[in-house]
Amino acid sequence: MTFDSSQLLAYAPMLILIGMGCVVLLAETFVQGKARAGLAWLGVAGCVAALVAIAVGWSDAATPTSHFGGMLTVDRMALYLDGAFVVAALLTLLFAPPYLREQGFEFGEFYALVLFATAGMVMVVHATSLVSLLIGIETMSLAAYVLTGCGRRSLRSAEGAMKYFLMGAFATGFLVYGIALVYGTTGGALDYAGIAAATGKASKVPLFYLGEYFILVALMFKVAAVPFHMWAPDAYEGAPTPVTGFMAAGVKTAAFGAIVRLLDTAFSSPLMVFDVTGWASALSVLAVLTMTLGNLAAIRQENIKRMLAYSSIAHAGYLLLGVVASGLGVADAKPAVLFYLVAYTFTTLGAFGVVAWIGNRSDERLYIDDWAGLGAARPAVALAMTLFLLSLGGVPPLGGFFAKFYLFRAAMQTPQLYKLVVIGVLNSLVSVFYYLRIIVAMYFRDAARPLSPTDGTSMRAGLLLTALVVVLLGIFPGTFVEWAGAVGLK
Amino acid sequence: MGVLGWVTLLPLFGAILVMLVPREEEAIHRGLGLLTSIVTFCVSLMIVTGFDAGQAGFQMEVNQSWIAPLGIHFHLGVDGISLWLVMLTTFMVPLTLLSPQAIGIRNIRVREFTALMLILETGMVGAFLALDLFVFYVFWELMLIPMYFIIGVWGGERRLYASIKFVIYTLVGSLLMLVAILYLYAQWHAATGSYSLDYAQLSHLTLPEGPQMLCFAAFALAFAIKVPIFPLHTWLPDAHVEAPTGGSVILAAVLLKFGTYGFLRYALPMFPLAAATAAPLIAVLAVIGIVYGALMAYVQDDAKKLVAYSSVSHLGFVVLGILTLNPTGVQGAIYQMLSHGISTGGLFFAVGLLYDRRHTRRLGDFGGLWAKTPVFAALFLVIILASVGLPGLCGFVGEFLVLIGTFTANKTWAVEHMSGFFPAPKLMGAISASAVILAAMYLLTMYQKLMFGPLDKPENKAVRDIHGRETWVFAIVVAAALVMGLAPQPILSRSEKSVEAFVAGYRDRLQESKRDPDAPPHVYPALAAAAPPPAPPAVPVPTPAPVPEGIAP
Repeated sequence: MTFDSSQLLAYAPMLILIGMGCVVLLAETFVQGKARAGLAWLGVAGCVAALVAIAVGWSDAATPTSHFGGMLTVDRMALYLDGAFVVAALLTLLFAPPYLREQGFEFGEFYALVLFATAGMVMVVHATSLVSLLIGIETMSLAAYVLTGCGRRSLRSAEGAMKYFLMGAFATGFLVYGIALVYGTTGGALDYAGIAAATGKASKVPLFYLGEYFILVALMFKVAAVPFHMWAPDAYEGAPTPVTGFMAAGVKTAAFGAIVRLLDTAFSSPLMVFDVTGWASALSVLAVLTMTLGNLAAIRQENIKRMLAYSSIAHAGYLLLGVVASGLGVADAKPAVLFYLVAYTFTTLGAFGVVAWIGNRSDERLYIDDWAGLGAARPAVALAMTLFLLSLGGVPPLGGFFAKFYLFRAAMQTPQLYKLVVIGVLNSLVSVFYYLRIIVAMYFRDAARPLSPTDGTSMRAGLLLTALVVVLLGIFPGTFVEWAGAVGLK
Repeated sequence: MGVLGWVTLLPLFGAILVMLVPREEEAIHRGLGLLTSIVTFCVSLMIVTGFDAGQAGFQMEVNQSWIAPLGIHFHLGVDGISLWLVMLTTFMVPLTLLSPQAIGIRNIRVREFTALMLILETGMVGAFLALDLFVFYVFWELMLIPMYFIIGVWGGERRLYASIKFVIYTLVGSLLMLVAILYLYAQWHAATGSYSLDYAQLSHLTLPEGPQMLCFAAFALAFAIKVPIFPLHTWLPDAHVEAPTGGSVILAAVLLKFGTYGFLRYALPMFPLAAATAAPLIAVLAVIGIVYGALMAYVQDDAKKLVAYSSVSHLGFVVLGILTLNPTGVQGAIYQMLSHGISTGGLFFAVGLLYDRRHTRRLGDFGGLWAKTPVFAALFLVIILASVGLPGLCGFVGEFLVLIGTFTANKTWAVEHMSGFFPAPKLMGAISASAVILAAMYLLTMYQKLMFGPLDKPENKAVRDIHGRETWVFAIVVAAALVMGLAPQPILSRSEKSVEAFVAGYRDRLQESKRDPDAPPHVYPALAAAAPPPAPPAVPVPTPAPVPEGIAP
């Protein structure tokens, strides 16, 4: 194994994030009180630097290169998703400071943890070996557990963090056990290419399939696919709102990146994809269950954070449909999944950004009735929220619509998935129904009590940025499609 | 960007401008909105002047690459069918913004109302002009959200229920249509190797019978809900009654036309065989709708609901005219769409005015108003008669042509050996013709209850006649009804060629579909530009006789 500076340079985004996280941790000891907001700006600077590093590495990534003995790879898919993570972190760092100050737990560690979690996500999508995948997932998850519980005085935050941690630990157990089984049955392969090469022999051993499915179960847990979704509503509700957005967008995107890469390389042999034991049929069942249960459960929610949590479960279902299409050989399915992830990241972060914006310490305004009259009181924020909700529901001309169009278009290329597309489309009808409930409250009802939102310049900047991107992704998606498409056409 | 691009996008720019003006300046919002829509109308006049009536195909096309990796183009074009529907749209929107009653009695948030109306106009014009199915779908959905807000924010007491019902009904249809569009997209790729959603190309794709039926069902459901065809009409009375006057006017005058336009542009030409199979059913439903709508209108006590049900009846004529598939019937259907837009739009303006004056719509609360409001009574009467279909006014021309087309439907079809397409044309024609009398019954009864009789209620004695902008609105509507009734030829002559091409093209494609209903998706008639697969043989290849069992080959 060689180890030189060029290899390190290829991972500049990850190193910048970790480095800046350490800087924030160190700087935290020297600043007090209001100056702590400056720590967030340090983090933002780190994110911008990471984005620059991604842009610089983009052209070289046209030809994938493997590093560290097949542990990590740099290719366009990874860089594309890196961009999504870094933007998610950046937006979280914009939304968080006013929120944390209002809630009374503004610690520098928060910003450092966001950066560390992002570094973990970056590692997850670069991983081409089960070991580096495990390290990435744990780096990401440990930071996410702590972030969920960082509202220390809130019972719900503690409850959410506890559930998330216990269930997450359980999922990690599955992952490790799965890795062990695959390692044993393939004769010592841990890297994806090695597993793929050993599939022919290993697939004769049932334990190999068991290992594969254990690994998939762990990842399904991370994306909150039904029936591994139980933790999500509680964790999403309990976590401080900016963290919820970060989890819903970043953690899910990272896990999907890992799923796409794993299924595209390690378990891509027809032996693994098709038939009763293949993952294509298993994942189609999960896709239908996930989108249907997620949407149906969301209808009944009165708490907006829980509603968005179930909606985020439903979106995992649509994404799984794309993953299945990719497995069935649709060349365009992978870029469609990637585009969907980016559109979803922006939209979800924006929606949770508004949720963070609207409440204050004594009055969180998490229930739909609390949003009555927002359209009259604060038209700009209400408009932004409307855009996010309609985009999540897949109404043109917004990013979420084009993402769905692109994804369903890919799935429609294989006759096996026609029924699933119809189910998906009907599901998005159901989802429009509950997204409209919030819009109804904002515009069609009169305010019950005066508004005193958390607000803050950086929050406004974040909302403006997300709203603009959500509209742009819908009207001019071409560039993003090309970036994502450059991935699929190997 | 071309004239068509400007007509489509000008209202959107106007909407952005309106939103930038501070909230308090209501006069500026109204003025700016009206100005934008009038400018849009003037620009749209350039479409008429530049239109070549001798040409059947699309004209003044705008075709720009939009989402290049997916082969999606921003493609607009106008032909004789969409020409007048676009004009109807750009004509009705300024009228709505001119009317002081448009926002209804909850006269709030003028800025948002004006902006939404303009966004709606962009959606409507764009959907009429779209020649790329993606563009069509985007504009189609773009109409939905502004209308949802117009009903929900400015509507009556049950506005929440009505707005949600409107959205859910419309979305059920349009989402399944999206699946069908994606299917066509995939099949086009399979047949030609290229990705395209262009109407000019996809309308040449001939599918085997099974998929055709499913795709037709998806498209037809979306359009049938929009028309609405009985029994999918239940959202309409709710939406109409709860919507503010401006919303009702646009809903009736333009939005409903998307259903019938969709049949003409998409559902029939693209899936000819399935359309032929389903035509008897749809024709029967249309006739049921004509009679049912008329009877329901007759028993209403709420003036707005009465007008809403009259729409169900009138649009039944349009559907019937389209399904005759002879040039007369289709021309009549198009003319009926336009005249319904003018006359029913006018009726909703009138009902909205009465509601504004009296805050009630119950027919029993009125009576004897003609003495207090002579100008309004006269103009209202003309609009009523136009809607009834009195010769010399706009409603007559369309209904007359549709009925002629219906009575002769199977004669034209017999020539092509396709009898049975249209069940019992004489009977259907007779039933529909009698519904014209029903229209006279319910509309004249309504007029009688509102305007004639003793002026015995004290509230009615204080009602003011129309004045200022209101007079303008009604005068313009009446003028349009008169012009369309007396001189239909300029309109008919411009749509004639396209209608003939539509009918001929439909028959041609139907025969191709019937030649081999199970042929895999293929391009017919072959396109010069799209590198078609080898041309299908002129004579159907006889299928080999089945080999008897037990004989070794």
